[in-house]
Amino acid sequence: MNGDPVSTFQFLGLTFSTANVVSGLVVFVLMVAVIFFTSRKLAMKPTKGQNFLEWLIDFTNGILKGSIPAGDVGKFGLWGFTLFLFLFLSNELGLFIQVATRGGATIVRSPTSDPLTTLTFSLMTMMIAQFAGVWKLGYKRHFTNYLKPFVFWLPISIFEEFTNFLTLGLRIFGVIFSGEMLLGVIWDLAASHGIATMIVAVPIEMAWQGFSAFLGAIQAFVFVTLSSVYISQKLEVEE
Amino acid sequence: MLSHLVIGQSLYFGDSLFYIVTFLLLMWIIKVVAWGPVTKMMQDRADKISNDIDSAEKSRNDAADLVQKRQAALANSRSEAQTIVSDAKTNGQQQREQIVNQAQADVQTMKQNAQKDIEQERQDALSNARNDVADLSIEIASKIIQRELKGDDQKALIDSYIEGLGKQHES
Repeated sequence: MNGDPVSTFQFLGLTFSTANVVSGLVVFVLMVAVIFFTSRKLAMKPTKGQNFLEWLIDFTNGILKGSIPAGDVGKFGLWGFTLFLFLFLSNELGLFIQVATRGGATIVRSPTSDPLTTLTFSLMTMMIAQFAGVWKLGYKRHFTNYLKPFVFWLPISIFEEFTNFLTLGLRIFGVIFSGEMLLGVIWDLAASHGIATMIVAVPIEMAWQGFSAFLGAIQAFVFVTLSSVYISQKLEVEE
Repeated sequence: MLSHLVIGQSLYFGDSLFYIVTFLLLMWIIKVVAWGPVTKMMQDRADKISNDIDSAEKSRNDAADLVQKRQAALANSRSEAQTIVSDAKTNGQQQREQIVNQAQADVQTMKQNAQKDIEQERQDALSNARNDVADLSIEIASKIIQRELKGDDQKALIDSYIEGLGKQHES
């Protein structure tokens, strides 16, 4: 997949990748559909869709509560919920639907199998962490946090921000990208020698698909967990 | 794709913008469609449950109060009933004594009256009898005198007879 041609187009002077935009739109539509149809007929006694939605909200709030102080969880709840659902659907999308043009450029795949997407979300987390820190502690106390435990720690603190940004984005990218790549490799194997390899490869493909689905869920969970950890670090004064 | 990123030959930064816009749009849609109403509903439910617990506690206390009041009223009415019964008993006792005393007094009076009456009657009868005897004696005497006054020998007999009557009367 690494050597595949990438379909791009220009818009407003910026380069867009067709695969990312189309996949992103697919996830967007899926998510709106899920949210819309589960949130109909809200009642005090929840029914199927509402039960699911409330369980999901409790779940993402639970992730945030794990690290962010209880008083501030409410402000990040919507962000955590959207992020988790978006990443989860993005991770799973490429496992079930992969569309390519005749030229070999993929159009629909997991948006998170592109480092640019994951680093975008990672950057968003870092920005939110910075803003939250300034909002909670004020400029002075927020930036003096970088000088703790002592002044010479400053380069390490700045470097840590950078590594956090990279590891957060590249972790999820690595898992999802390798998952999709291996799916492609197994498919190539299946197609290589006709029916014989097909019979062997299909169970392997299914097993790997299942495992990747599991990994996709785990990675979405890990991403939100780590994001909330990074934010919570900025919300308190280091001793 | 990482190679594109590193080499930068066709770096599609537009995607970042696209994803940020998409994400913010999604957040807004979710907030309007689901997050707001659902969290409000969850909050409402939590409030309702805590209210229900509070009101259950309150009604339990009310019931306990009511039971206590009931028991107090019951004990009160029981003692009242006892007082009434004992009052009635003493009243009855008194009345009975009064009636008996009254009856005894009445009987006494009646007895005395009866004795007086009897005495009176006896006196009357006695005086009547005395008068009758006197009249009878006089009649008998007149008859005897008319028929046998001539016979002096009988005079002594009459005298003695009259004398006897007088003696009997005196006693």
